[in-house]
Amino acid sequence: MVERQAMSAKKSRYVHVPDDETKIRMLHFMKLVREIEDRIEKKLYRQGRIVGGVYVGRGQEAISVGTAIHMEKDDVVAPSHRDMGVFLMRGVTPRRIIAQYMGRRTGLTRGRDGNMHMGDMNYNVIAFVSHLGDNVPVAAGVALAFKQRGQKQVALCYNGEGATSRGDWHEGINFASIHKLPVAYFINNNAYAYSTPMELQMAVPDVAIRAAGYGIPGEVVDGNDILAVYDSAKRAIDLARSGGGPSLVEYKTFRMTGHSAHDDAGYVPPELFDEWKRKDPIVRFEKALLDEGVVTQARIDEMQKECALIVDDAVEWAEAQPYPAPEEVTKDVYYEG
Amino acid sequence: MVKPSTSDAYSIAVPQGLELDRTGRLELYYFMALNRKLEERLGLLYRQNKVVGGLYSSLGQEACSVGTAYALGHGDFLAPMIRNLGSLLVRGVRPTDVMAQYCARAIGPTRGKDLNVHFGWVDRGLIAPISVVGALIPVMAGIALEMKMHGKKNVVLTYIGDGGMSTTDFHEGMNFAGVHKLPMILVVENNLWAYSTHVSKQANVKDLAVRAEGYGCYGEIVDGNNVLAVLDATRRARARCLSGGGPVMLEAKTFRRKGHAEHDDAGYVPAEQRAEWEKKDPIDAYRRFLVERRVVDSPQEIDEIDAKIVAILEAAANEALSAPFPDPSIATENVYG
Repeated sequence: MVERQAMSAKKSRYVHVPDDETKIRMLHFMKLVREIEDRIEKKLYRQGRIVGGVYVGRGQEAISVGTAIHMEKDDVVAPSHRDMGVFLMRGVTPRRIIAQYMGRRTGLTRGRDGNMHMGDMNYNVIAFVSHLGDNVPVAAGVALAFKQRGQKQVALCYNGEGATSRGDWHEGINFASIHKLPVAYFINNNAYAYSTPMELQMAVPDVAIRAAGYGIPGEVVDGNDILAVYDSAKRAIDLARSGGGPSLVEYKTFRMTGHSAHDDAGYVPPELFDEWKRKDPIVRFEKALLDEGVVTQARIDEMQKECALIVDDAVEWAEAQPYPAPEEVTKDVYYEG
Repeated sequence: MVKPSTSDAYSIAVPQGLELDRTGRLELYYFMALNRKLEERLGLLYRQNKVVGGLYSSLGQEACSVGTAYALGHGDFLAPMIRNLGSLLVRGVRPTDVMAQYCARAIGPTRGKDLNVHFGWVDRGLIAPISVVGALIPVMAGIALEMKMHGKKNVVLTYIGDGGMSTTDFHEGMNFAGVHKLPMILVVENNLWAYSTHVSKQANVKDLAVRAEGYGCYGEIVDGNNVLAVLDATRRARARCLSGGGPVMLEAKTFRRKGHAEHDDAGYVPAEQRAEWEKKDPIDAYRRFLVERRVVDSPQEIDEIDAKIVAILEAAANEALSAPFPDPSIATENVYG
């Protein structure tokens, strides 16, 4: 009992704390992300039911969920390939996501592109660009439009630490900082860019150090603690919305898989996986919620079943969907008014 | 004539511990004056329609080129930008070479095939500038990598302007040099204007040197109009590189006194800003230093150096202009390896 009180006192160090309903909502989405990605990577891909590659964000679920929770309806988001939570929280259905992975006509790209290479402007989600870092100037452009129109919207943009070595990242953040654009830049620092560890990617321990070079706030946050993510993201988004310009928030986390489903990540020392498994963001959040009495174990088990059912339904639905018709191949390639 | 020193005149401070004998002190003057007078002479040739293509001036920035290049040693590599004519002169390029190059004559370093300072001279440790600003940084990082891999006790030095700092190549090259702790000195000539873009529209920071930290590099700010300070800072940077300390970013605060090129009247530059910097002329200040510190016995000694330069330039102009244009038959020579 004393211990529990100490824990909640510690948590109050955050300025922005979600209410219980929001906490449960966040847990649901984290679990749903894990369930969808586990199903895709560990089952469907191995059964040959997926078209193309598979990139998951296992172990990083707190970042996409804890940031995107703050989005308002008209905000715009440019996620990276490890931010499945963003799609779900914006309202993209698991059915359409699975259909996308299966190359079906009802997937987000109508079967023309695979996996996380998807977007849907009905939900203000900009399609991920394979060339990492390319979404940084895109998000700056979106934010410039908001500013020029005098709108109170913000843009959110996600990248890994590897992408920060790219020129687009530098040019985009520089532009956003000069013009004080309403955009928040989030870094999923998962320690590996494919097989390149952090120390071969940059000569600094934290990406956030670079914020000073653009005259913007930079912050290093535990990316496996969703309450820390929630708090820091709220600050960055509020600053952008109030005209204070961009921020750079670095979430320290770990990629609990290979770069993709075809990569066994033999280059990652096994002890790192062991260490980070103990910091699993979902297990950690569940424990915190149990300690606080926000949920019971029975409720958590029920949530798990709900997520499994949602994904069962999505797979069944997606598999019944047709592949795109060959004659549609040039549709959406050129603007047709 | 040396202008009388007044209490409000810009005067240059001597860095503590700077070792430089009388010959060295006079050589610095010689190269700065040669740099300026050569450009003045090129200005006349430009108006006489003898120069082919554009003319780029480094008026007011001579101390940056001369002080940095003078700090280098045998076997070091330097890559100039368009405003580093002085660096070429220090490295042994003759005024005749420069005039022949500007006037597209067959005896020029590129045999009349390229113009202005767009030439290299590998056996003198000079890499040709690349018009696409920033692109030299990864090139020089590559040379520095070779030096490091072969255990050579040498460094590379190149330049970037305040505008070039916004480019992709700057970021990627600097990041690479930082990760591999390469012996590279990047001189940031902050002359406040990138063509017509003021530095405040180029970066959201007051000092560009603050970016060094983001690459795990050492950064320093130096008065770019004080040739002794520039020399001293570059020597220290070189020593740091040679001791394995990794790259150094040296921001030289200066001012572009002419337009971007001879064809640009720079009407966008406030007159008072120009006037303020004219008072800080690096050559005038250095002349005063030489007289006041009794490096020379009388101002006439400096006038004699000037007269010698005028004679050198006269002979160089005659030699360059009496040389033929390239024969059309050599057009494809040296194009392919």
